[in-house]
Amino acid sequence: MSGAYSGWVIGGALVLALACLITAGRNRPMGISLLAAVAVLEIALIVQAVMAFTQLDKVTERATFIGYLAGTLVIPLVALWWGKAERTRWGPGVIAVGAFTVAVMTGRLLQIWNGIS
Amino acid sequence: MSQNHLGEGESQTPTLRGGPGRVLVAVYAVFAIAATSRAAVQIATRFSEAPLAYLLSALAAVVYIVLTVALAKEHRILAFIACGIELAGVLIVGTLSLLDPEAFPRATVWSGYGSGYLFIPLVLPIVGLVWLLRNRARPGNIST
Repeated sequence: MSGAYSGWVIGGALVLALACLITAGRNRPMGISLLAAVAVLEIALIVQAVMAFTQLDKVTERATFIGYLAGTLVIPLVALWWGKAERTRWGPGVIAVGAFTVAVMTGRLLQIWNGIS
Repeated sequence: MSQNHLGEGESQTPTLRGGPGRVLVAVYAVFAIAATSRAAVQIATRFSEAPLAYLLSALAAVVYIVLTVALAKEHRILAFIACGIELAGVLIVGTLSLLDPEAFPRATVWSGYGSGYLFIPLVLPIVGLVWLLRNRARPGNIST
């Protein structure tokens, strides 16, 4: 797991959360661009998970680490599933919650990776 | 019981999980997962260190799971009760954790009124109760 890469993931997730909040603030439902952004985030998270899994022996708190990793992969998909049914401003609101959670969890992953817990 | 019938066309029936409720369910789901994992790790690895704190941790997890399901499945009364327990829990555990920090070393999501979680655990039950009350009193006016 690389700090620089995960930093970009965190930044990207936060930007997505912000974009969702702006969309919700403008009273728009979820559009194709937000859907695409979630897909990009999911791909980035899969890459991150693969990178982390290949060097898993470096991690001491392994169970927690794997739990967080799995969480980051599942959350965007669940958020998409739950938010897509809502054709109002609250749909993007759900994605904002999911994206923010992913950012926080990636931060926690980095902390565990670097041995600060 | 006092569910109004909506006459205006195919207007959406007011639901707990619709509109703002959808975001509320999402936030509760996140906390259900966070609290459950935290409690599971605590109880599995070091239960004897602070049994009371870790049992409260598990209680918090149960409350969040119940609320996620109750809101998503439209169980109003259950959601109302769980929200009350949640508010009481965060206030009691929050206060105890400040009075006796030794017993609650950041052990539950409710410690320090949820300060480790941006105080969302403190705000969430209040938002939940407001949503439940508002949703009941003025059905139909939720999302435009």
